[in-house]
Amino acid sequence: MAKYIAKRLGYIVFVFFIISMIIFGLYSAVPGDRALLKVSAQRDKLTEEQFQMSYQRARAELGLDDPVPIRYLKWMKNILTLDFGTSSTYKQPVIDVVKTPMKNTIFINIFATILALAITIPLGIRCAVKKYSKFDNAVQVVTIVGYSVPTFIIALVFIFLFAVKLKWFPVSGMNTPNFQGTGFAFFLDRMKYLALPLLVMTVGSLGGMTRYVRVAMIDALRMDYVRTARAKGLKEKTVIYSHAWRNALLPVITLIIGWFLSIFSGSLILESMFALNGMGKLYIKALSDMDYDLAMAINLFYVVVSLVGNLIVDLSYGIVDPRIRINK
Amino acid sequence: MSKQKKEKKSFLSLLVRNLVGNKNKNISILEEEQMQSPFRTVLKNFGHNKIAMTGLIVFLLIFAFVIIGPFFYHLDLSYSETSQINMAPGFKQMKMPSALNNNAAYISQGATFAVGVSNDGEVYVWGQPKISTTINMKKQIPENMGKVTMVAAGYDHALALNEDGEVFGWGNDRLKQSTIPHEVYAYGKVVQIAAGYQISAAVTEDGYVVFWGNESVNDVRVKKLQQGKIEKVAFTADAMIGLTYDGEVLYLGKQETAYKNVPETLASGVVDIAATASTCAGLLEDGTVVVWGNITKGENMVPETTGKITSLSAGRYHYSALTDAGEVVAWGADDLGQIDVPSSLSKKGITALYSGYYQNYAVTDEGKVYTWGLKGYLLGTDGLGRDIMTRLVNGGKMTMTIGAVSVIISTIIGIIVGGISGFFGGKIDMLLQRFTEIVSALPFLPFAMILSSIVGNSIPETQRIMLIMVVLGVLSWPGLSRLVRAQVLAEREKEFVTAARAMGVKKNMIIFKHIIPNVVSTIIVSATLDFATCMLTESTLSYLGFGVALPRPTWGNMLTGSNNSVIIQNYWWQWVFAAVILSICVICINCVGDGLRDAIDPKSNER
Repeated sequence: MAKYIAKRLGYIVFVFFIISMIIFGLYSAVPGDRALLKVSAQRDKLTEEQFQMSYQRARAELGLDDPVPIRYLKWMKNILTLDFGTSSTYKQPVIDVVKTPMKNTIFINIFATILALAITIPLGIRCAVKKYSKFDNAVQVVTIVGYSVPTFIIALVFIFLFAVKLKWFPVSGMNTPNFQGTGFAFFLDRMKYLALPLLVMTVGSLGGMTRYVRVAMIDALRMDYVRTARAKGLKEKTVIYSHAWRNALLPVITLIIGWFLSIFSGSLILESMFALNGMGKLYIKALSDMDYDLAMAINLFYVVVSLVGNLIVDLSYGIVDPRIRINK
Repeated sequence: MSKQKKEKKSFLSLLVRNLVGNKNKNISILEEEQMQSPFRTVLKNFGHNKIAMTGLIVFLLIFAFVIIGPFFYHLDLSYSETSQINMAPGFKQMKMPSALNNNAAYISQGATFAVGVSNDGEVYVWGQPKISTTINMKKQIPENMGKVTMVAAGYDHALALNEDGEVFGWGNDRLKQSTIPHEVYAYGKVVQIAAGYQISAAVTEDGYVVFWGNESVNDVRVKKLQQGKIEKVAFTADAMIGLTYDGEVLYLGKQETAYKNVPETLASGVVDIAATASTCAGLLEDGTVVVWGNITKGENMVPETTGKITSLSAGRYHYSALTDAGEVVAWGADDLGQIDVPSSLSKKGITALYSGYYQNYAVTDEGKVYTWGLKGYLLGTDGLGRDIMTRLVNGGKMTMTIGAVSVIISTIIGIIVGGISGFFGGKIDMLLQRFTEIVSALPFLPFAMILSSIVGNSIPETQRIMLIMVVLGVLSWPGLSRLVRAQVLAEREKEFVTAARAMGVKKNMIIFKHIIPNVVSTIIVSATLDFATCMLTESTLSYLGFGVALPRPTWGNMLTGSNNSVIIQNYWWQWVFAAVILSICVICINCVGDGLRDAIDPKSNER
């Protein structure tokens, strides 16, 4: 197992470097002179000569005179020491700008994932056990709608229903403005604001996963060992949850990765729709403000999330299915 | 109920049979034993899948709608019309209350609503009287106005004049355009009222003009010399002209604008004036009409008439006129049917004509009203006054085109990579597999966003659209390439490949001519489902502002900016239609894809 983990880890690190190269290449291909942008505010105050000096200093500071590979290496070296550069809009180190949004995004996503898994797995199993019943057909229709309708439309409908018509939840924001409470009261207030985005995220991700679980479970229930288990008089519950489900879990786990990543993409949209202080909203802002140090750092965050997702899936696959460890 | 259901079912199965071409149901046992090609089996299976067939039909309908629609709904990217913003769906612009039928005394058309007076002096409002959450022209009609003789409707306010010369105002009062100042009554009895964009004016019987409202947007000033002889005034969108008792047209403003150069022929002998949003017109005694101002939409193309023109009326971008023979003519812009005068109108004995914005009302001496012009918008208009139907049709075309092209790109890449890697195996396979994994590890949405924002900002619009297609295509092939690889791995061990090799067929030929046709069904299913995904991704990107840029519509960016509670609640038509059609379209494509997969793979049929 240790060898397997090491192999996967090594691979993930390799892919991370490749992707970071692609990202850096893209950002360094941006037209426009960043050094000029940085010093252009001083143009009127300084004489031509002083301005040129300051411009050259800025170029040297940003390392624009080096060829791209050297710049990449320097950038990578900084990143490995957790120095992501300075945000040009916030005039602060990127790492400080990113801290709170990152916490929020990870919280929202993990919460939504757990919530969605807690609903989809029992639902999918139930559908598989009672396949072709009215319940199953109804769920099938709902799920196909669920995975076809884009998140932002679900969000619009939910805002219309729950925030505008029923007035249960606020339309956007993270907290009541000037909220003074601390501790539990703060948490409750935060949850009131996050309830709607979390609901949308969960509903939006129900569709696909429920279908996967159902299909995997139907396949598993058709196997001979299930018939054997039933024939030897085991309880139906034991048959379903212990014999069939453990085998159905395998294909499901592979699919969780794509799904997990799609949740992160979904949160990117929802954060900007609900004005949540998260990575997605910050990313959109950074891109439209051309704050490239910040955008690159956030991009790397998404890459890391995606790779960690991959790694977790690989590892859990190894845990669930012993054959894989041995083969690799 | 059950009978109905049965009928529906039989209709569907008939449709299915006709579509699939399996019309002879009563085949003998011998024939039934015949072999059927796999493709036919697939079609047959698919045809029996009711959900998939319904999805296919609905999708084809939507497809036809967005392909044929643009021929009827031309898209003008620069179009915007402030007088038509946020119009609700419906055709009630000229639906007058029945009380006004055969009883109309005076009518005035405002931007989204119309005001009319009956012969008894009652005021009625129709059209879309709810302008905002606080302004409702119908509910705010002042009470106890007495017998009203004249009304004037402006952009978002209205005035009424009763037989005692009293003036009333209601509607938007933010710039005091509907608060009547005391000066109005200082120069004798009021005989005429006029309302424009946030401005109002009253003319007294002594020839004095009093105006009130927003004087910074409107260029209005009446010189002392001009006061005391004015008979009538008319508003353009931002200026005022007047007609004196001597028959001279005066420009009542202070700035050097195109309106200022009143043609010399209008210095005397003018009997009537009218003004569109950007032009003015004067009617001479001999029936000739002289138009000046910013003529952009054919406002000066006065048609030939048999009789002499006796009165003039103006809409937003068109004029209408009445001749002494009772003939009605109209000219100017015709984008919303405002000059399509019904041909039967000349025999009806029309005595008065009221045009305003895009609507026209012709009244007979008995008070019967005939109308023509813009009835309304099928799906309403957006925040810039653009017809949602036009944008929906053209946006759909764009969304589907982008979806289709990116699927083609991703399918081609997927087939090539998957085919090569599956057939050759070994080191090539290893390399391509790692490459596939790297691409699939790229976080899709953030990556598409940098590509379109970094590269897309510096290139023209068409190239940007192409870039989005390429980005979507280049990022979404890994799934398909894995499928193809797995299939090719299974196929390449079969006898026909060995046979082809033995015959010395080139390796490329074996892959793409012998193996790929055998995995084409998988490819079709995957491409169908990818088409739905690409449409979704495109609309998500456009919604976020990283896809197709406004003003070019797509189903995604039509929803941009609609996530605030004002639009969601008050202008529901601005987001519901685009959201519904996009969702239905994607649901249908997914149903078709699922149906195809079930049809191709009999094993999954049992699920």
